[in-house]
Amino acid sequence: MAVREVLIYPDSRLKENCAPIVSFDESAQQLLQDLVDTMVDAGHSVGIAAPQLGDLRRAAVVDVSKSKLGKKQENHGLLQMVNPEIIEKEGSQIVREGCMSVPEYTGNVTRYESIVVQFLDQNQQLQVIRSEGFEAIAIQHELDHLDGFLFLDRVSSLKTDLFRRKQK
Amino acid sequence: MQHFALTIIGRDRPGIVSQVTKILFQGGFNIADSSCSILGGQFSMILIISNPAISTTEEFSDTFKPLEESNLSVYIRTLKPGGEIRPELEGELCMISVYGADKPGIVYQVAKELGDRNINITDLNTKLVGEKQTPVYVMMLEAMLPENTEIEEVEIWMKELKQRLQVDISVRSLVVMEL
Repeated sequence: MAVREVLIYPDSRLKENCAPIVSFDESAQQLLQDLVDTMVDAGHSVGIAAPQLGDLRRAAVVDVSKSKLGKKQENHGLLQMVNPEIIEKEGSQIVREGCMSVPEYTGNVTRYESIVVQFLDQNQQLQVIRSEGFEAIAIQHELDHLDGFLFLDRVSSLKTDLFRRKQK
Repeated sequence: MQHFALTIIGRDRPGIVSQVTKILFQGGFNIADSSCSILGGQFSMILIISNPAISTTEEFSDTFKPLEESNLSVYIRTLKPGGEIRPELEGELCMISVYGADKPGIVYQVAKELGDRNINITDLNTKLVGEKQTPVYVMMLEAMLPENTEIEEVEIWMKELKQRLQVDISVRSLVVMEL
């Protein structure tokens, strides 16, 4: 069990493409545990990805069930994901996101409304789940970290965009 | 370090931002915070700037002369110490959309409901849209609800206002996902 330091941009490790976990060994288990511990310790957080701890392997955890808004929606509780991949996606929703690794800034991001994600869980079992709403946003945000994307790369509109489009 | 608020406005055209920021860059200024946008046919820039070597307006106001000469209006405000720091606003962000046939007082009436209750408006945009014969006023605002104010209360005030002003108003909480 270990709560680890969350890296803050401009740490270059946040912009790396992470490597798949080939052998699901003790160190991978430890990584998942550290992710959970750090997420829980960070009180407000509903997810965290391995590169945020400086570990460039494809692992992330999400748990929206403890958050005020997340628990109102259907969710899968604690998700521990190794080599996660989004295999289906549909719809879109706009949400204002913030990130522990980019403090004091939030931006409007467009995310898929509903996704199907496939991953190995903490017991090395292949899981395929459908996720929607709040939880789906969290998963997309964390999986972006594994590809070196921050929400800053996804900001889709400034607040005034709505007005701008009206102009001829 | 002394900070200044710099406001620049003028007829929109390509190159204003580069013209302004070139002067700032060459003069050794930092841009700490800024918001720039087109309003009507005008481009407006509001920036919080500082320069370690400068503490009074007189020391640099002349550097903006070329802007005035190209028809941009420049205004410099000297900030009081700490005036550059954004206050820590606690509470729930709430988004209010107001739209309807244009009439006087829409902004004021909505803002008054919030201001009278000490609710901080953190962002506000308005625009006149629609056809010439049937202009529609659109206002989008963000407000920070203090701890003791529930969004349901805001909905009640706005419902009353909606009747009185004969406009459409919707209120929703703005979800900021901290991930």
